[in-house]
Amino acid sequence: MSPADRSDLLQGTLDLLILKTLDAAPLHGYAIAQQINRTSRALLQVRQGSLYPALHRLENKGWLAAEWTETDSGREAKVYRLTRKGRAQLESEIADWRRLSQAIALVLEGA
Amino acid sequence: MNWLMRVTHRDRLEREADRELRFHVDEETRRLVATGLAPDEARRTALAAFGGLEPIKEAVRDVRGTRWLDDLAHDVRYAVRTMRRHPAFTIAAVLSLAVGIGANTAIFGVLDALLLRPLDVPAPGELSYVVRTGPGADTLPLQSRTRLPFAAVQRDADVLQPIHGRVAAMSSAVRMQVTGAVGDPGAELVLGQLVTGNWFSVVDVVPQRGRLLTDADDATIGGPAVAVISDGYWTRRFARDASAVGTSIRVNGYPVNIVGVAAPRFEGFVVGNPIDVWMATALQKQVAYGANADVSDADVSKPWRAQEGIAWLTLVTRVPSPISRATAAAAIDLAFRRDVEARAAKIANPQQRAFALRAHATLADGSRGMSPLREQFGGAVTLLMTTVALMLLIACANLANLLMARGASRAREFAVRLSLGARRGRLIRQLLTESLALSVLGGAASLLFAEAGSHALLRMASDGPAPLMLDVSMRWSIVVFAIAASIATGLLFGLMPALRFSRLDIHEAVKSGGRLVAAGRGASFGRALVVAQVALSFVLLVGALLFVHTLHNLLTIDPGFEATHLVTARFDPRMAGYTGATMASLRERLLTGAHAIPGAGAASVAMCGTMADCHSVSDIDVPGRPRGVGDDNDVQEDYVDAGYFPSLSMTFVAGRNFLDSDRADAPKVAIVNEAMARHFFADVNPVGRYFTGGDPDAKITIVGVVRDSRINGLRETPPRMAFYPYSQNPAVPVRNLYVRTRGDVRQTIDDLRGVVRQADRGIAVREVVTLAALEERTIARERLVSTLTGAFGLLAVAVACLGLYAMVSYSVARRRNEIGIRLALGAPPSSVRWLVMRETLMLVAAGLVLGVAATVPTVRLVASLLYGMTAADPVAFASAVVALSVVAMLAGAAPAWRASRVDPSIALRID
Repeated sequence: MSPADRSDLLQGTLDLLILKTLDAAPLHGYAIAQQINRTSRALLQVRQGSLYPALHRLENKGWLAAEWTETDSGREAKVYRLTRKGRAQLESEIADWRRLSQAIALVLEGA
Repeated sequence: MNWLMRVTHRDRLEREADRELRFHVDEETRRLVATGLAPDEARRTALAAFGGLEPIKEAVRDVRGTRWLDDLAHDVRYAVRTMRRHPAFTIAAVLSLAVGIGANTAIFGVLDALLLRPLDVPAPGELSYVVRTGPGADTLPLQSRTRLPFAAVQRDADVLQPIHGRVAAMSSAVRMQVTGAVGDPGAELVLGQLVTGNWFSVVDVVPQRGRLLTDADDATIGGPAVAVISDGYWTRRFARDASAVGTSIRVNGYPVNIVGVAAPRFEGFVVGNPIDVWMATALQKQVAYGANADVSDADVSKPWRAQEGIAWLTLVTRVPSPISRATAAAAIDLAFRRDVEARAAKIANPQQRAFALRAHATLADGSRGMSPLREQFGGAVTLLMTTVALMLLIACANLANLLMARGASRAREFAVRLSLGARRGRLIRQLLTESLALSVLGGAASLLFAEAGSHALLRMASDGPAPLMLDVSMRWSIVVFAIAASIATGLLFGLMPALRFSRLDIHEAVKSGGRLVAAGRGASFGRALVVAQVALSFVLLVGALLFVHTLHNLLTIDPGFEATHLVTARFDPRMAGYTGATMASLRERLLTGAHAIPGAGAASVAMCGTMADCHSVSDIDVPGRPRGVGDDNDVQEDYVDAGYFPSLSMTFVAGRNFLDSDRADAPKVAIVNEAMARHFFADVNPVGRYFTGGDPDAKITIVGVVRDSRINGLRETPPRMAFYPYSQNPAVPVRNLYVRTRGDVRQTIDDLRGVVRQADRGIAVREVVTLAALEERTIARERLVSTLTGAFGLLAVAVACLGLYAMVSYSVARRRNEIGIRLALGAPPSSVRWLVMRETLMLVAAGLVLGVAATVPTVRLVASLLYGMTAADPVAFASAVVALSVVAMLAGAAPAWRASRVDPSIALRID
């Protein structure tokens, strides 16, 4: 399996995780990875190889906006924030996810 | 950030992505160091977790959606490298493409200017012009069909209501003599036009200086003496000086004030007649506008503007969108019909009345203006466009074959790339990029000389003082054409080889080093190309032969006069203020001067003259002969002196020349030509008989009959002519002065110019040329077509034979092995030669069969451009078959001879 296939598998989920993470506060790419890692109690490891293409894709779609800002360490980092369009997308994706997981739960419990 | 910005900011995005990833690695490294790792170790771990920076960058680039563009850049770089590696091939390909695309672009420039380009005014699609229809109208030249009695049409305001105020009118564009402008360079001939006051508002042209004409300028006959000049004339005569507006100039002797300059790029409505000066139709009499009219019932000496019996204006209308063109056409026709019916009611003969009543008026699309040049040259230019396009096709076939041959030697490279996982589409794209790079380079180079080519074409079409005045300067439409032609060409010659080589059998190709590849379908494709080339070049060759033969037919016509040693000066003294009263003495001065030229033979004067594009047609009656319909009673007339016939070497078949006794008070006389005599008098000798013109009491007696001559041009059959003597019509203007010379023609030309200048410096001489030059001008189109199709026909045959030669040589090289074996087994060299020649023969035969099949219907389309032969001329077809076969056999003979000289021991050792 090539890396591309694995990221395809994760793509929808990764987008949702990125959008949700940025809903709280604007962050740079490294911090996003750390944050997802932390909040999922290390259950979800974001593959760094797919994080950045995903960030750029979401930016091109207009769901994220980016800006170079100085970080605590004094270095410039590309900080992403959610746009209005991105917030709407997040809401619809959360709704989709809930429906899907409910459906899966129903199937699993029924079986 | 949108896609376009992602393309234009490519470098910045690359840098930022790099910075972003580096920041990530640095942060991770810092975290790991904080957990106690050594800095080196920490960095290595961080990078490893990333899996390398480059793959991620690649993935980020993919996301950007500009990947294909990067690929394209890569392909172009690769193509450039390939071109550099084969400089000879590249130069040959680019040069031949530059010539091929350049010829196409040059002819397209003329085609665009003549036939395609809309007028440079707002919404040109709303413009129409009025054309007369009805029996006989189709055969008339456009100028006559569009001349209408404007005063009569305009009278019916009620029926013109739907397009009220939107019908404007213009006169013919005529040469006018301008004097008295700044710097005064003497009398100068310009192109002038009389228009109605609403002309500029209907056509929708704005002034760039001052103002344009208005209704007030055209309201009263002889009204305000004002003129508007064009951007071109402003530049030429006034060097774009703002003070031009307000300057007074004399047009044909009449002082007018320049009130404005029209917007740049508006040269008038008639394509090919760029106007210098516009004036109101109310000034017709003042500026001595006196030609190009159909007079039915009017006094030509009174102002024309208000007279309904004179058709001298072309109607142009703008029909804005809510009104349909049909509505406007119906209104115009209704107005025109009222005049036609009123006029027909006065005709006694019922047959003639019915004929007259069949006249109608209709609207023609005026978005591209109108132009008599279209009728004259439209077909020829379209034909040349087709010819060069076919020529380019033939060249494309050669390039495709060359690319196939070269591709065969690159087969191993393609095979390797395919086996390394390159996708087929990617390979096709790269090969197409290579062919497109060649064709675009060729196309770019072609733009360097396309405009000069267009100008050369215009000069070939007309060498007189009035060349085809079409604006063929470089513009977007031409550049777009060149780009489109380049891309089409590149795809055409690149696609087949690309498809072919992307479908290589990898194993075979790698194993054989690529030498086997071209044997199968590749070779048959190459043969098909050669067959197509032979067929196409056959079409062009037959066309060339037809047109060269046409020119020959025209050149061997006996025009009915001797033109080489006859020099003629052309001018119009009316523009210099001469009237009937002063004309006779001027004529005497001119004749005296001409006779005094050293080496001068007979000298003479004429109003219209020969081959001078002047037609004066009158309606006559022969007593006892019933009137027919249409132009049955028309004769073309001219006013000459007794010296005219001897000076042009026109011989008498009956009767006598004009005599001194044919004075103004003597009975009116005329000399007619054979065509006139045949038409009106059949077998009866017309000498001594008479006919009448407008006045039935004024009998004109025929005193002589001269041989027919091609007065209107070599292509035109001799018209029915009546010549009247100046001695009985002293007020008629003299516009041609002839002198036959026994000496140096060029010296006589200078001398004759001097004679006119001596007679009156104020007369602007249009030109002084030999009659032969005028004669030549009447077949300029045929010369242009036969020269160019001839050249392209020969070139096509040469290129096709080159293709054939390359194809056969290649096939011989491929079959060296087989040939070597045959020779080694004792086959005589002649049988080997035959083996190769047979291949050539079959290719040529197939090409010829296809060519004949394609040519028969094609040449029928150009039948109207031929003279003295039919399109299915068996001689042309037969000579083309023979010529092409012989040349092709010669092209095939060299490789055949080489094949028979193959040394078996060497040929067999290679593989």
